[in-house]
Amino acid sequence: MSGSKGDRRKERIDRGIKVRSDSVYAISSWKEITYLIAPRLVLILGLALAPLLLSAAPYWQRVVSIICVYSLLAIGFDFLANYVGLVSLGGGFYVGVGAYAAALLNTYFGLPPIITIPMATLLGAIICTVLFLPCLPLRGVYFAIVSLMYPLLAARIIEALDIFGGTDGILGVDGFSNVWLEQYFLILCVLVMVFALRRLVEEDIGLVFRGVKDNDQAVKASGININEFKALGVFIASALGCLGGACLTHMYMWAGLSQFALDFSIIPIAATVVGGGGTLVGPVLGCMILVPVSELLRDFGSLRIAVYSIVLTAFIVFKSEGIMTYAARKYEQFERWVEI
Amino acid sequence: MFEAAGLMVFYENMLALNNVSLQCGENKIIGVFGANSAGKSTLMYTLSGIILDIRKKEEMAGGERITIRGRIVFEGKDIMSDKPSLRARNGIILCPERRRIFPESTVLENLRIGSYLATTAQAAETLDYVLTTFPALKRILKRLGGFLSGGEQQMLAIGRAMMAQPKLLLLDEPLLGLSPAIQYLLAKAIKEIRDQRGMSIIVSEQYARPIIPIIDHGYILENGAAVVEGSKQELLDNPDVKSAYFGN
Repeated sequence: MSGSKGDRRKERIDRGIKVRSDSVYAISSWKEITYLIAPRLVLILGLALAPLLLSAAPYWQRVVSIICVYSLLAIGFDFLANYVGLVSLGGGFYVGVGAYAAALLNTYFGLPPIITIPMATLLGAIICTVLFLPCLPLRGVYFAIVSLMYPLLAARIIEALDIFGGTDGILGVDGFSNVWLEQYFLILCVLVMVFALRRLVEEDIGLVFRGVKDNDQAVKASGININEFKALGVFIASALGCLGGACLTHMYMWAGLSQFALDFSIIPIAATVVGGGGTLVGPVLGCMILVPVSELLRDFGSLRIAVYSIVLTAFIVFKSEGIMTYAARKYEQFERWVEI
Repeated sequence: MFEAAGLMVFYENMLALNNVSLQCGENKIIGVFGANSAGKSTLMYTLSGIILDIRKKEEMAGGERITIRGRIVFEGKDIMSDKPSLRARNGIILCPERRRIFPESTVLENLRIGSYLATTAQAAETLDYVLTTFPALKRILKRLGGFLSGGEQQMLAIGRAMMAQPKLLLLDEPLLGLSPAIQYLLAKAIKEIRDQRGMSIIVSEQYARPIIPIIDHGYILENGAAVVEGSKQELLDNPDVKSAYFGN
């Protein structure tokens, strides 16, 4: 009765190499090694070549950097949402905290970017985690609402108290010594984080994270303090965001209120939806599509948001699994018609 | 009156229902027995049409591909492609496994949600009937569904299904996790409902003993296939069935 003709159905079969196990592969030939490495290599080489290919267009080179910043945020969002079960709309807060931390360390203490970026990442993540601690027992939409409030709150506090340069922001932050360093540092960060997190969620600790998401009561009953793990999850996600924020500050040589903007909360979510939640690579892919599209759409003026929204809605309605989930399935399985 | 023929359901490559055929006459109680994973719930989902809904959701999420084959004829019409809501309008009402009570609505509200398809007069009359059949519900009409005991929840679930004016009532494991005393009480109530209201009932259960006295005809499912079929007496006399589903 479904779309197919006659009494046949489409069968999905794992390709030989996948059948042996989901994560441990028994590799016996160069062909199989290539099969496994090819998709990873495409990502790595693709990202590594992007700045070179775009070296003629500095504007688009800058877009690559922005893609990386959004990717870091999106990976964090995907990790937190699909592995820890916390839907965080606080992306803007992570970026803002990281940006201000880096800018303050740079302008007040005169530290160079090579020190401010790691320090801002760590410090920012600690600040974010501590501030989010009271909200960790919240779940679902409640956590989302509270985390959405944080960036708004932070921006208004800075504005009202006129601290950290108030509405002007912090000017005179050192830039990266050259554009190649900026690009490749960010690309390296994204690649390391993607593969590290993909490994992490397969480890024991990843199992606990997923347990917290699936059934937190059962995890509690196993004698595990779920708030510790949620805090760790927030720490990882906010570290990614702060890293992005710190890089952003040094890229623009400026930290300001716009780094608490809602864009940093919303675009990572959109990228995760488009790319495929739970894959961790998907969000990077999503950013690679959405950020350039949103740049291209600048010509449309205010219609930009409309076009953007339509694309997103279409994606959610027609392909809510996301590009990466779809592609992985096509790559790892083949289909054939069989008689019933 | 109700006939399913050659039902096959695949969850991806796993065969959940293998060529199951089943008939249910007017005012009959049909029992479907089988162990865990025998395909009872899939059968119930297929008969009620929920499987179409599950298939759609899986498709959207990029999950398992569900393939459905076969024919379901109800009152002379092929309803295989009908959505669950349309099947419910036609009188096929599922009382789902694990009750699926609305936990944040009171007992009365739960029952009234069930009467969405009924006219006001029918709803009032059925409500009266449900409360007479399950007097335990009368005292707790104002209590929230989530705070009921397992037995009360099951009575409420059956009551809610009754409110939709079923011609064919599908009960998916109505005795799940209940004490023998309540199991006995519910089995008696199911028979009473059939006798007094005149409807066909298909009831699935793992353990046949409490249900077997009230059925007219029974099917045994194993690994998705109906391996034994027969009247109450035939099932009782079958030595294999006896050892597997009566616990002696």
